[in-house]
Parts: sequence; C-alpha cells; structure tokens
Amino acid sequence: MTGRAASNGDLSSDFIIETRGLTKRYGGLVAIDNVNLSIPRGEVFGIIGPNGAGKSTLVGLISGALKPSSGTILYDGVDISALPAAERARRGVGRTYQIPRPFLDMTVAENLEVALYSAKPFISARSAREQVNATLTRTGLAREADLIARNLPLLRRKRLEVARALMLDPRLLLLDEVGAGLIDAEVSELIELVHSIADGKTSIVIIEHVIRIVRECCRQLAVLHIGAKFAEGQTDAALADKEVAAIYLGTAHRDDSTSQSRIWTAPNHSVNPGASRRDVLLRITGVTAGYGQARVLTGVDLEVKTGEAVAILGTNGAGKTTLANTISGSVRATGGNIIFDGHDVTNLPSHLRLRRGISHCMEGRRIFATLSVEENLLIAARGADRSVRQRRLEEIYTLFPALHTRRRNLGTSLSGGEQQMLAIGRSLMSGPGLVIFDEISLGLAPIMMDRLYEALQQLRDSGLTMLIIEQDVDRALDLADRACVLERGRFALSGAATEMRSDRHLRRLYLGEGGDDE
Amino acid sequence: MVSLEAIANSVASGFLLGGILALTALGLSIVLGVMRLVNLAHGVFLIAGAYVGFFLLQATGVDPIIALVPIGVVIGAAALPVQRFLLEPLTKFGPEAPMMTTFGIAIVLENLFVLYFSADTRSIERDYATVPLLLGPVSVPLVYVFGFVISVGVILIVHAIVSWTSFGRDLRASAVDPGAAAAVGVDVRRVHALTFALGAACAAAGGTLIGIIFSFTPASGANYLLTDFAIVVLGGMGNIFGTLVGGILLGVLQSLAGVTLGDGYRDLVGLVLFLAVLAVRPQGLFRGHAA
Amino acid sequence: MTQKTANLRRAVRNVEQLAGIVIAAVFVPGIALPNLLSDYELQIGFRIMLYIVLAEAWNLLAGYCGLVSLGSASFVGVGAYVLVGLLNHTGIPVPMAVGIAGLAGAALAAVVAPAVFRLRGLYFTVGTLALGEALRMLMINVPWFGGATGLFLHVDWPSSRELYIYVFGLLCVTEVTLSVGTRSRLSILMRAVRDDEDAAAQVGVRAFRVKLGTFMIASFLMSAAGALQAYKLAAVEPYGMFGLQWSVDVLAMVIIGGMGLRYGPVVGAVFVVLLAELLADYPELHVAITGLILIVLIRFAPKGLVGLLGRISSLLARRLAGVHLV
Repeated sequence: MTGRAASNGDLSSDFIIETRGLTKRYGGLVAIDNVNLSIPRGEVFGIIGPNGAGKSTLVGLISGALKPSSGTILYDGVDISALPAAERARRGVGRTYQIPRPFLDMTVAENLEVALYSAKPFISARSAREQVNATLTRTGLAREADLIARNLPLLRRKRLEVARALMLDPRLLLLDEVGAGLIDAEVSELIELVHSIADGKTSIVIIEHVIRIVRECCRQLAVLHIGAKFAEGQTDAALADKEVAAIYLGTAHRDDSTSQSRIWTAPNHSVNPGASRRDVLLRITGVTAGYGQARVLTGVDLEVKTGEAVAILGTNGAGKTTLANTISGSVRATGGNIIFDGHDVTNLPSHLRLRRGISHCMEGRRIFATLSVEENLLIAARGADRSVRQRRLEEIYTLFPALHTRRRNLGTSLSGGEQQMLAIGRSLMSGPGLVIFDEISLGLAPIMMDRLYEALQQLRDSGLTMLIIEQDVDRALDLADRACVLERGRFALSGAATEMRSDRHLRRLYLGEGGDDE
Repeated sequence: MVSLEAIANSVASGFLLGGILALTALGLSIVLGVMRLVNLAHGVFLIAGAYVGFFLLQATGVDPIIALVPIGVVIGAAALPVQRFLLEPLTKFGPEAPMMTTFGIAIVLENLFVLYFSADTRSIERDYATVPLLLGPVSVPLVYVFGFVISVGVILIVHAIVSWTSFGRDLRASAVDPGAAAAVGVDVRRVHALTFALGAACAAAGGTLIGIIFSFTPASGANYLLTDFAIVVLGGMGNIFGTLVGGILLGVLQSLAGVTLGDGYRDLVGLVLFLAVLAVRPQGLFRGHAA
Repeated sequence: MTQKTANLRRAVRNVEQLAGIVIAAVFVPGIALPNLLSDYELQIGFRIMLYIVLAEAWNLLAGYCGLVSLGSASFVGVGAYVLVGLLNHTGIPVPMAVGIAGLAGAALAAVVAPAVFRLRGLYFTVGTLALGEALRMLMINVPWFGGATGLFLHVDWPSSRELYIYVFGLLCVTEVTLSVGTRSRLSILMRAVRDDEDAAAQVGVRAFRVKLGTFMIASFLMSAAGALQAYKLAAVEPYGMFGLQWSVDVLAMVIIGGMGLRYGPVVGAVFVVLLAELLADYPELHVAITGLILIVLIRFAPKGLVGLLGRISSLLARRLAGVHLV
C-alpha cells in the first residue's frame, strides 16, 4: 500500500481540499469511513475505487450536497464543513453529476445563465452574453446555444454540465464519473476538454471508472475501498500496484493499457455449423422510434436466430437503448414491424411482450428497492406455477450465489454489482426466449464485469438467445457471435464477431471515429 | 377541572375511534403511496359509503355493519371506470392534473348528493350505536368497539394482501418504479386501477362505520379528507400499519383536546400535530417498507 | 428546439399578447367613463379582476416556481382580517390599509417559509392545505378575532365604483409584477429551482431565497386581494375568508386557463366567473357543472384554454402558410 506522509506545517494552502476524519453514515451503513485526504492545488487528481467504495458520496460531501456525520473539510484552508452547497458553489466549487442533470426545459445558454445570474444578478446584458459565449466556445457547445437541453445527447449534456460549472469561475472542479457511457472517440474528446481546463489555476478532481481517463489526465490519485482510503500516490505506480489490482482492476487491466493484449482467455465458442439453419426468433423490419419530437431510430432491420448472441454496438445517441426499449415495448415504434417467435408484437404493451418471451435487463438495473431480493425475482416469474418458479429461483441462485445469501435483504442494501446480478437474474425468471442485456457493465469495476460476463457466458452456452448492448466493445465481441453497429438510428455494419474483433479499420471507422456525437 | 375518569374514558374512546379513522385513511394512504395521486375525492367516496349504508338499511333493513364488504365492493367497482377513463390518461401531465380532476369529481358528486339526497343531516340509526360498554373503570360506546375490531380486521387483511400476495408485490413494485415493473410483466395500468378501487372501497367501508357512529351531510367528506391526510402523513404514505398507529394517535389526541380544551379544539389540535410532523419529519413517524 | 416547438411557443405568445390587450380594453373603460357600467357590471368586473389577481399570484408561485400550494386561503384570510382591523381602529385611507394587509400576508409567508419549504412536491401541497385549515380553525376558536361570527366593518361601506377602481389598481400592480417577474433574470432562477433544486444549489442558486421571494410576492398579492374582498363584504368570518374554496377555486382557475403560461390565469379567472354568472339561475347545478367542465377541460386540454388556443392558432398558421410538417 503506497502512502504519503502527512504534510505537517503551515503549508495547508498547498492543498485545495483537505478532509480530516471525514465520515458519512446512513443508519448502519458507513459510506465514508474516517477519510483523511489531501488534494493538491492546481493539479488534476483522480479518485478511483470499486463500486460501493464511496466515491460519489465523497463528491457529495465535498460539493455540499451531503452533510458529513463527522469530520471536517477544508477548502483552501477554510473549514467549509457546515457550509451549504450554494455557498460552496459561490466560493468556486463546481461539480458535474454522474448522470447529467442539466435544466432540461431551458436552453443551453439559459443553463449557463442560471449560474451567472445567481452570483452576479446585476451584470450587464452584454457582459453576460460575452461570458456565456466564451464558455460555450471553450466547451465546444457554441453551435447548440439555443437548443433545449432535453434534446441533447449524452456527451453534449456532459459538456453542458462542465460549461455550467465553469461559469462559476471555479477553483475546484469535481467531475463525477464523467466518462461513463462514452465510447472511445468521445473519451478522447473528453480528455482534450479536461486538458484544456487544467490550466494550473483550476484544481480538478476526477472520479472515474474509465481507467484511460485517469491515466491520461491525473498525475496523482487516491484509491477508495469500502469507504476508506486504500492507497494513494502517483498514477502509474498506483495502477500498477498488485493490491489495487486485486480489489479493483481485476485481471483485465494488468500492466498494459491497450485492450488487445489481455491475459484472460477468450471463451472458446465456435460458431455452430448448424446456425444458419436455425429459426429466426426475432425479426425487425424498418422500425422507427423516438422520444417526443426526436427521431432516434430511423429504419432498423435486424434478424436474430435462436441461440445467437448478438452484440449491439455504436456511439452514444446512435440509439442502442432506444432500440432495446422498442423491442421490449417501453417505447412504442412509430413505424415498421417487430415479429417475435412468429407473432407480430409491434403494438403490444411491454408487459405482454414479456409474457411472449421478450425480457429486458434494463439499463441502470432498475431493481425494486423496497422489495427483497427474492421478491424482485419472483415478481418476474409471471404465471409460472410453483415448481417451475422454485426451479428457476434455484438456477439463478446457482448462477449468482451472492443473491442466495442476500435473498431476504431489501434491494436498497445491495451493492452496485449485486444489483446488476439481481437485474440479470430477474430478467431470466420468466423463462424468456430472448433477453436484452442493456449496458450491464455501466458503472461497475472491471473485476465485477469479469464475474458478470462469466455468468453471461454460461447462459450463452446453455443456448439462451441474447442481445448485448455494451460500451465495452471487447467484452461484447468476446461473448457474441455477431455484432451490429448502430449509427444515427440505423445499422451501418454487421458481421461476425471474430471479424469485427480483428479488423482494426472497421473498428476505428465505426466504433472510433465513426461517431460524431449528435 | 376534568376528572381522571373523564380523561380515561376519553383516551379509551379516542383510541378506538382512532382505529376507525385509520380505516377511513387507509385508502388515501395506499393511493398516495402507489400512484402518487392526491385524491381529493376521497372524502366523497367516504360519504358515498355512508349513504349506501343508510339507504340499504332503509330499503332492506339489513344492518350495514355486516354489509361493509359489499358496500366497499360496490363503491370500488364504481371508482374503477373513473380511474380508467378520467385519471389514467392524465398521468403523463404531472400530478396537478389528476388531482384537480379528483377535485372536480368531488364537487360534482357532492352536488349530486345534495340534489338527490338533500342536504339534511343523516345518520344510520342502530340501537347499539348509543349503548355504552364498561371495560373495568372505563366506559366507551359499544359501537366504537365493534368499529375498532372491524377496522383493524380490514387493515390487517389489506396488509396481508399487500405484503404476501402477488398482487401486493405488483402493487409495491409499481409504486417504486412503474417502468421497470412493466418490463417485468406487471400490468401497471391494471394495478393502478385496482389500487384506486381498493382505496375507494376502504373509504366507503370506513364511511359506513362513520355513518353509524356519527351523523353526516353531503359536505362532511371534506372534514374527513383533512383528518385522513393528517393520519396519512403521520403514519407515512403507503405504510399500512403506520396508518393504524397514526389514526390511533390522532384519535387519542383529539379526544383529549376535546375533553380538556373544548370541542372546538379537537380538529385544531389534530391539524397542529399534523403541521408539526410535516415540519419535523414529513416522511412520517414510522419508516415502513410497504408500498 | 424543433420547429414545431418554436411555432407553438410563438403561437402561445401571440395569444398571450392578444389576451393582454383584450383585458386592458375590457376593464379600462369602466374607469375612464364613470357611468358607462351599471352597478351589476361593476360588481362582476370587481369579481373578475379580483380573481385574476389571485390566479396570477398563484400562477407565479406554482407555475413558474413549482410551489403548488393549496393554502391560498391562509393569505386571503389574513389580508381580510388585517384590513377590517385597520379600518375599524385607525383612520388610514383604504389603499394604504390594503397595502399593509398585503404586507401582513408577506410577513406570514416569511414566518412559515422555513418550515413549509422543507417539504417537497406533494408534501408541500398537503402541508399548505393543512396550514390554511389550521388558520381557519384557529380563527374560529380564538375569541380575540370574533370567533366564529367574525368581525364587522364599522366604517362607511364602499360603492361599487370605488371597489372597481381599487381592484383595478391592484390588478395593474399585479400585472406589472408578473410581467417583470416572468421575464426577468429572477424567472430563470425560479425555473431552475422548479426544475431541479439540488442542481440549482450546486451552481450557486440560493434556492431558499428565490422561493421565499416568490412566496412573499405571491402572498402579498393574495392578501391584498383578500383585503379588498373584506372591504366589499364589510364583514369577515372564518368560513368565508379562510375557507377551502379560496384555495381550490384559485387552483381551478389557473389549471383551466393554463398553468405556467403568462395569461393562463387571466383566461381562467374570466371563464370561471362568467360560468358562475351563466349558471346563476341554476344554483343546484352550478357546482356540479363547474366540476364537469373542469374535468373535461383537464382531460382534453391539459395545458388549459390558453394552451388549447395556442395549439389551434398554430394549426391555423400552418394551414395558412401551407407549411407541411412531418
């Protein structure tokens, strides 16, 4: 465990943030446990750690959204522990949210004006416009100034949040999992943005799972584990540390950062020679769909055969989750057909599609927090009689033993990884013919992703037909037979996974540069 | 100077009455907890139950106290289409629209009651309504005991339904995350419709009991609406046992206030307690994991 | 913003401006030409304008700041009682008394704000409802304010024309306040608080102050309106001045007219008062029919009458322009 000598002496102004004995308790659960952290001024500092480590809680405590149970926080040497969030913002603490929360019914420019007018209500209109435009240009949003925030895709929303925080002239910028849900090209853009803001005067704290961002932006970092500071130090050293790897990085990211030379063996599934003669289970033709005014899917055709595992890839805003929602019924298609198992389900509401056999493991898990683990599972076993329900329950408990241990616990008490296991288990309880796994690795540490994908591999081997929507391209291609790439609401490319995996040009074209983020 | 005996009687009656009030509040609590709907028509559903009981007695001589379940079912069934056609289509417009619709329903029904049943004060006359029961040193009206037992019984049944049946599971899931519930096969629209009907049925059953114990007019519903809101907030929205405890607490406090300060202060004390709880602990006095 | 949304917004704004002009045209003549309107018409005018003031105030609070209150009665009642007290015991002129009554309402708002703002959403609505009722019961039981019988005004009763002029003055103040409030920088802060209070705090918005300011302004207007109502009735008592009907009628007007739209409350208030007049011959059915209209309107025109007119006018504009929207 690498440590750092506590800086004693009067040079507390060396650090933009110092926490002393910081603790946050929720009833019996200790989210942040006696953390002493010193974040140096003027640098980009990273905070990493597995799920449930307390990273977002820490951000909430520093930004003022949460009140500490005990301990103090010093900002530039001043104790701000009791200061409410708005006051901290006025003193230059800006933050972004894990899931962006712009003011959805305001334009991009108005979002920035909120920050401006609350601090300087009497600023002249011209000055205001200048400052807003300057920040918009700086964050690459100049063209979208009059767009309603609701219509922005994910990366734009993240930029908007950064821009909004920049309007505060922050001395400290907290970026909370800003890389989540972005693909490679978008991550590069984000890293550029961070570099442009890191001017030596503004301190930036990056809380991240996407290791690439941490590696390329942060000089130093701290590792959190179960609410306590586990390690800290120079980035490369910390990431190479064996113990850190054990708790967090899993085997997948040992030593080198290129995702090609991974140590774990790709599962050896060969394409079944009889595959082409298998029945088509799901056929989608010319499907269009969207939310409100926005058209997201512009004409999707897809065929999935029984027993196939198909990966759905693509940039953000391309429509992957919309496609999942349209297939499962949460979103009604505006055109085209969806035929499942010979039946036209295009106009069927989602609960009836489940009964037909389409199961959707939704993005963000969406487990029922006030129901127990077992109730969460049982609720999905509609109409099955007792013995069948029991059998399925047992199968899922075998697949995920952790769920069996926690079966009487309420959903709220599960960690992120356990919630994902529950969500996967729940999607299997109805004995579905097709399961759509929507971004199951979002926000999870690599070691947890390993476990989940092992489970998925077992399901695949047992013959389950699945659609896998994934940001982590490598994992998806390792698991799937075929991959289809969505671009601007249509499939631009589809082919065997092995081809996609090895064809660098294809990947760069459609998964790298292919996405402008609109 | 109020005698100790009077206080003891008052606490006991308040306790029992509170249990009955809890039944009247139960429907409101469930609907609020599951559908996030402020049902301003709750009071008229209550009074509707009282009227049905009244006319049932008049027409057939059957004591409404044994016909509580059918009365509840009738009102619940009548409430189903209201939810289906008037409230369900409004869910996407935010919480004010359905709330105002329930208000519209409330004033329409109240007006119709006045039109057809006249504004006269009514009461379901039963002999046992005035008979006192002596429990040791304390004297309470016998009908309060009946009402209390019945109310607690119904509350227990509803709790059992919500906690242990698959419908109850669907109900709780719909309360937490309707989108995810639909994705696992729950017919959320049906759940909402049935929840609303259940709420109306409970209100009507409670209303019948109220009609036996007290008198009522078409306008009485509004008073009970407010009291019931107080109970729901005290006990926690959607928390079934919390509603029972909240009701009893309110009943006792109101009774004591009436006996010590004067009748006019009964409702005031209730409201002040309500406001205090809202200010200090709006999620209710009890943390429950019901709907 | 899509073209469709932009068109709709423009259409609604046109309707709004038209509404503003129409209203001015309707009410100003009553002042300018003294004997133009009959006593009855003056009284109707009074009612309409008073309701507009209440509805506008409530719209500012709920439609623009997101604070959906069912406690308007508290402020109407406070204003009413304060006015009667002032006129009975001091010799100050009526407009000043109305102003002080308004300030009393704002003071009440400031006092209850810390408690009531801790409640979010649904709880806030229910909490304000309870507040109104609690005040009413307090007034019934506490003898200093006349208890259940209330208080009577001991000064000369006003003429209909006098009332008309006073309420017109209040209406002007209201309209100016609303126009400033909804187009100013404050309105951006209000909307931010309404949309996402926590995110607003995180960018430095002192949400409490924004809400308090809006609450106090709205309460001032409502109390001033209550004061004028008391002046008209020359008497106050708890059921009438603190009654639930104030809270709910105001809500109904704004929803019927269009919540969060600039002239929604005006249209709603006019509609409700005119409907009441139309049904004056059928007192038994008046309430039921109002309720039915409310239900139907909410069901089929959830953005209120103004929103409906906006949709119709944008549809017409499209037809006339021959623009073919997908």
